[in-house]
Amino acid sequence: MSIRDAGLLSRSRILAVVTSRPFLTFAIVALVWIVASFVSRGFGAYGHLRYLVELAAVIGLVAAGQTFVVIAGGIDLSVAAIVTVAAVGLPLFAIDADPTGLTPILAVLAMTTAIGLVNGLGVALLRVHPMIMTLAMATFLQGLLIIIAGGSAVTASNPLVTWVGNARPFGVPAGILVWVVVSVVVLVVMHATPFGARLFAMGAGPLAAKLSGVPIARTTMAVYGISGFMAGLAGILVLGMNGQGYVGIGDPYLLASIAAVVLGGTSILGGLGTYAGSIPGAILLVTITALITVVNASPGWRSILFGTLILALLLLSGREAARR
Amino acid sequence: MSNTTLSPPARSGSLYWAIQAKRNIGVRGLFLVVLGFMVAYGFLFHGLFTGSGFAKFTQSWFPLALVAMAQAILMLTGGISLAIGALVSLGAVLAATTITGPLGVAGGTALVCLAGLGIGAVTGIIVVRLRLPAIVVTLAGSFIIAGAALLVLPRPGGAMPPWLSDLLAGNTPAAFGVLVVVVLLWKLYLATPLGLSLYAAGENPVGAYRSGVPVDAARIAAYAISGLLCTGAGLFVAAQTGSGDPIIGNSFTLNSIAAAVLGGIGFLGGQGTMRGALAGSLLLSLMISVMFFLGFTPVAQYVAQGLIIIGAVAIPQFRMRAR
Repeated sequence: MSIRDAGLLSRSRILAVVTSRPFLTFAIVALVWIVASFVSRGFGAYGHLRYLVELAAVIGLVAAGQTFVVIAGGIDLSVAAIVTVAAVGLPLFAIDADPTGLTPILAVLAMTTAIGLVNGLGVALLRVHPMIMTLAMATFLQGLLIIIAGGSAVTASNPLVTWVGNARPFGVPAGILVWVVVSVVVLVVMHATPFGARLFAMGAGPLAAKLSGVPIARTTMAVYGISGFMAGLAGILVLGMNGQGYVGIGDPYLLASIAAVVLGGTSILGGLGTYAGSIPGAILLVTITALITVVNASPGWRSILFGTLILALLLLSGREAARR
Repeated sequence: MSNTTLSPPARSGSLYWAIQAKRNIGVRGLFLVVLGFMVAYGFLFHGLFTGSGFAKFTQSWFPLALVAMAQAILMLTGGISLAIGALVSLGAVLAATTITGPLGVAGGTALVCLAGLGIGAVTGIIVVRLRLPAIVVTLAGSFIIAGAALLVLPRPGGAMPPWLSDLLAGNTPAAFGVLVVVVLLWKLYLATPLGLSLYAAGENPVGAYRSGVPVDAARIAAYAISGLLCTGAGLFVAAQTGSGDPIIGNSFTLNSIAAAVLGGIGFLGGQGTMRGALAGSLLLSLMISVMFFLGFTPVAQYVAQGLIIIGAVAIPQFRMRAR
């Protein structure tokens, strides 16, 4: 290969990265941050930006599971309920014999993963549409929540949960560190393992994937299991950050997770996308919310602004292919 | 059919009924389940067969029936809406603030209907012309519409004229009458060019487009009609409660999808019938009433509702595979 070819190759590769959807979303976030810090004093302060990313970590974790499900051609509408179940259910697993607080966390993660696996079971084996299966699961969990919480708020007394929610090793909130670790693992699994390849194949064409030997049922269950696990992790993080868990604590994260996935350029129809886009998508959502709070409008106008901004961002490149 | 000596018009008539009967095949099981629940409900609540009992029952079903139709129209064209609940709320607050105001009943009702048609049409244009995924557009739209409802009425309030509340939600089955009219209008709509295009646009948009079917117009019209049905449901809810509440419609989004899917409407477009969606909404409504009368705790209600929805969707799938 001549040197000129190599140069061309790298230039086209750079072009591909620069015009890719994750990069564009990152660029939008950077642009919004720069403009906002000029307009509003204090917005660009390190502490404020760090706080934004910390808030985005929760959305980012939920969106990680959602990205898996959406790429595989499904959708998970039960994530909000799972986040709440994790946050409210954690104190139930408290064991006196374990002072570190690790056992309850593992128990909760196992439980939420199991909930996700049941979702996958319904979608893969009972052939219930993902929207209905996860919706029914959310209804089901709502009943479960009333049993375990009885409507009252629970306080986080687990030392490890409190640490994850509040500690700042090396000046970086532990929640962000968790998010970084999860992001790296998710990106590797999604783009550098056979499982990841099967995921995209399944989302692009289930029948073709099946005929090519992809174990549809197993992969589907794994995908929803991951989503349950991630939502559980987000629930633990949000419990640590809030210090309290209550019914409804997870509600904002359903729409936020779907919006983050779509703003990041992942096709809601499946088979196309990357978690690398959902990461800036989550940060963008939190930034928009923060900006709207700065504007100091009434709740009605705030809601309208939020919806309009998401629509406008979608127009940038969330478009489907033309029919003809 | 078997009787070949019939004259041509009569034969085409029997063909019509034969086709209609064939379209019932998919929802026959559902009709049986609905009948079962109806009988159970009749046993539990003896007043069901009196005039006012029937009126009360149909009133609790009516808004759900309208939003199920609203969702079903969209799903038939291959779309979906997550803004149903927000539109119902908007309809309710608009009705509660305008009907007792200077616009009067006619003006207020017209405004509510126009708002539904207009917002629906705009949503449709964004989805169809700008080629954005419906699920995300309506998700963003739900924030905008919910915000607008909050602007109209920041907290529950407003008023409805008592005679209108009595007429729609009193002891007369007026709501059921309105529903019958709506269903008849739907039948009429299906006979218009746009209505005929509805199924074609949902089942195979490319094929339909190449055959000269106005695919885009049919889909945009479906969004507009869907919006009208939602704000109409909102007006009824306002009459039922006697006031407007900016978040009263929230639960309708998920229930409308559940009702449409229970009724056999497919997510991919072109599959299912409106009678199925109506039966699905009736089943949901009956289920809630029966569980209430059996004294189920809210917990058991949630659990049972989740299980019944999954069961009702999964069992036909099993039967299809067994065949």
